Amino acid sequence: MPTTAMFWRIVRRLLTANYARLFVILLALGAGAAVTSALLNLQIDAKRRLTTEFRALGANVIVAPRDSDTDGNGATLDEAMLGQLPAHHEGKPVPAVAFLYVIVEVAKAGEIHFEPAVIAGTQGLGLTEIRPGRRSEYLAFLEKDPAACEVGTKAATQFAVHPGDSLQLRNEGRTASCKVFAVVATGGAEDSQIFTRLGTAQSLANLPARISLIQLSVTGTPDSLSRFIAHLGQSLPGVDVHGIKQLAEAEGRIYNRISGILSATVILVLILTSLCVMAGMSNVAIERKNDVGLMKAIGGSVRRVVRLFLAEAVLMGIVGGLVGSAIGLLLSIWLGKAVFGVAAQPRWIVYPFSVAITVIVSIASAFPLRRLAGIRPASVFRGEA
Amino acid sequence: MAALALGMAVATAALSVSLDVGDRLAQEFRSLGANLLVTPLADSLPLQIGGVDYRPANAGAYLPEADLGKLKTIFWRFNIIGFAPILDVPAQYLRKEVSETDPSRYAPVHLIGTWSHHIVQIPDGQIFNTGIDQTNPWWKVDGHWFSEGKKECVLGSVFANRMGLKIGDRVFLNVDDPSKMVQRYDAYTVTGILSTGDAEDQAIVMSLGELQQLARLPGQYRRLYVSALTKPEDAFARKDPKTMTPAEFDTWYCTPYISAIALQISEELKGTDVRIIRRVAEGEGIILTRVRTLLWLVTFASLLASALAVGASAAASVIERRTEIGLMKALGAGSGLVGVLLAAEQLLLAFVGGGFGYAVGIVLARLLGERVFGFAPAPKLFVLLIILALAALITLLGSAYPLRRASHYDPAPILRGE
Repeated sequence: MPTTAMFWRIVRRLLTANYARLFVILLALGAGAAVTSALLNLQIDAKRRLTTEFRALGANVIVAPRDSDTDGNGATLDEAMLGQLPAHHEGKPVPAVAFLYVIVEVAKAGEIHFEPAVIAGTQGLGLTEIRPGRRSEYLAFLEKDPAACEVGTKAATQFAVHPGDSLQLRNEGRTASCKVFAVVATGGAEDSQIFTRLGTAQSLANLPARISLIQLSVTGTPDSLSRFIAHLGQSLPGVDVHGIKQLAEAEGRIYNRISGILSATVILVLILTSLCVMAGMSNVAIERKNDVGLMKAIGGSVRRVVRLFLAEAVLMGIVGGLVGSAIGLLLSIWLGKAVFGVAAQPRWIVYPFSVAITVIVSIASAFPLRRLAGIRPASVFRGEA
Repeated sequence: MAALALGMAVATAALSVSLDVGDRLAQEFRSLGANLLVTPLADSLPLQIGGVDYRPANAGAYLPEADLGKLKTIFWRFNIIGFAPILDVPAQYLRKEVSETDPSRYAPVHLIGTWSHHIVQIPDGQIFNTGIDQTNPWWKVDGHWFSEGKKECVLGSVFANRMGLKIGDRVFLNVDDPSKMVQRYDAYTVTGILSTGDAEDQAIVMSLGELQQLARLPGQYRRLYVSALTKPEDAFARKDPKTMTPAEFDTWYCTPYISAIALQISEELKGTDVRIIRRVAEGEGIILTRVRTLLWLVTFASLLASALAVGASAAASVIERRTEIGLMKALGAGSGLVGVLLAAEQLLLAFVGGGFGYAVGIVLARLLGERVFGFAPAPKLFVLLIILALAALITLLGSAYPLRRASHYDPAPILRGE
C-alpha cells in the first residue's frame, strides 16, 4: 500500500532530520531504561541477598519438645529427628544442629576442684552458622578429634584452659573428658557453655539418643520462612517448631523497609526519565509546527499526524529500551559486586519488563505533541506563532 | 523550568532520605534488641540455658543497681537507647488448690526480675525512662506489664498454660531461705501473660525491686542488657585498642563503635565484664554496611537521572530561543554576548527552579520517608546548597552545546522562519 510506504518514509525522515535531538532523546530513554533495569535487577537480587545476609544473625528456627519442664533436663526429643529435617529450602542448604544441654561438674585435667557448668552436646552441620561468634583461639587440627570440644570464653577463663588442654567432666558418677580445640565468644549464654560431641553429653546425662532441641538457620523472606515453619510443624507431629521471635520480627521490618526504598527509587527514576523525554518531545513539537501545518494543509487528518509522531515515539522507545536495558543489566552485575561482594545474577524477566516500561514512558511523554492538534495551517504559514 | 524544578525536587528527596536513612536503619536494627551484655567480672560460671540461669540465689556475684544511672554519663551517652537489668532466681511456686499431702503442691519455677518501665536517676540530675521493652522488644505481653512497687507479676505463656493460670489470678511464691524453718509465701497478682519464644515462657517475670525483696538481694542484679546505636565495625574498629597509637585510640574512643562503647561502659561500671552480643552486633554491621552502599548507589542513580532530565530540558529551552537569538544577532550582538545573556538566563532559571524544587523535594522526602520509614527527614540546609550548585552545573552543561551552536547561527534563515 502506497500510504503505508509513505507513512514509514515520513517516520524515517522525522527520525533522521535532526541527529542531535535524536541523540538527546535516545540518550534520555536509554539512560532511563538502564537505570530502571539495573535497579529492578538489583532490587530482586538485593532482596534475595538480604535474606542470606540475615543469616549472620544465626539460627532462626527451633525444633523443641512440645512441653518442656523448668528444671532444664525435662522433656527431650529423639535424635533421629535431626535426620528428618529437610536439607534444603528453596535451593539453599539449611544448617541444622541438635543440642543436648546438661549441667555437669567440670575441671581442667589434673585439677581436683570441680565446678558446675553447662555442657552443650552438638551434632549436625553448620554450628558456626547456627551460633555466630568469634573464635579467639582455634586449633583446626584438633577439631576432628572424637573427643574434641569448644569452650565459651567465660568458661575458658573460669577453668583456665586453652586449645590443646583437656577437661574432665562428671555427672552422677559418670565421667568423660574432652580436648579443647577452640575458644569462642558470642556474647550470649554460649560464652559460659562447653560444646562437646552429642554422644559425650548423652552419656553424661544418661540420656542415650536424646536431644534437647534442634536449631536451624533457614534462608528466606519472612513469608517463605513462616511457610517453612508451618510445613515442618505439620510433618513433625508432637514437637514444637517455632521461629525465634527476636529475629523474625526485626528481619521482617528491616526487609520491608529496604525493599520499600528500592521500589520508591525505581518509580522516581521512571518519573525522571519521562520528564527528560517529555522535554525532548516538546522541543520536537515546536520544531514540527511548519511540517504539521503543511500536512494539515494538504489534507492530513489530526489522527494521522498524531499517529506519525506516536510511531516515532514507539520506535525510539524500543531502540532506547533495548540498548539501555541491556546496559543496565550489565551495570547491575557490577553494582551487585560493589554492594554485596557477589555479582548479581541477571534476571531475564527484567529485560522485557524494562523495555516495555521504556516504550510506555516514551509514549506517555509524547504528550506535548498534543499541542500539534490545535495548529491552524494558515497562521503557521503566515509565520505567526 | 517545571522540568528543572521537578528534577531537582527528586534529587532533593533522594538526597535527604538517603542522608537520614542510615541512622534510621540503625534504629530499626535496635528491634533486634540489646547488643551489649554486662555481667560481674568476678563471678562463678553462669549455668545459663536459653535465657534462664540455673544457679541458686546464693551462688555467684551480683552488681549494684544503684550504679546504673552512670550508663548515661559515658561519652556516647545519647547512643545508649535503653538498658534493663535482670535478676533471676530459682523459686518455689505454691499451688493452693492442691491438697497439702500431694507433692505436686510445690512446683519449681524461675523468677526473673527486671524493669518494665523504670525511671532512672542520672547523676547529672536528669531522668531516663527505660525497660525491658527497649532491650528485648520481641517480648510480647498479653494484658499489661507489672507496675513497679506493686506485688504484681507477668507469667510466661508456657508456665501459665501448664498451671492453668490467667490474668487476674494470684500466685504464691517463695525463694528458699535456709535460715528459716517455715517458708513464707508471698502473693502476686498476675497482670499479663508473656510470650518470648524462649526460656522466659516458662518463668515468672516481676519487677526487679519486688524480686530483690523476695530473694533478699536488695539493690542487686545479675546481668544487664544494653541496647546502643553503633557505627558498623570496619577494619579500623577491629584493631586491638591496646596496639593503637594515642591518636588512633582517641579516634577509636570517640567513634560509636560497639567495642568503644563497651569499653566506656566497663570504665563507668566498676567490676563488670562488658561483652558484645556477636550475633546481633555483627549481623547488624554487615547488613547496615551493605544497605548503606546500596542506598548511596541508588541515590547516585537518581541524581544522574535527574541531571539528565534537567540537562535535556535546558537544551530544549535554548533551542526554543532560536528566533530571538537570530534577532539579537541581526541587531548586531556578538556571539559572546548572546552566549553570556543566555547563560545568565539559564543560571537564574537554575536558581529559581532549584530553590522551588528544593521546597517540593522536602515535601516529597517527607511523604516518602513517612511511607517507607514512618519518619520525616529533617530539612538540611546543606542539601539546599548542593541542589543549587547541582542545578546551576547541570543547566549550564545541558545548554552548553545548544548555546555554542546558537552563537554560530546565521540570523537570516532563522528570521525567515527556516
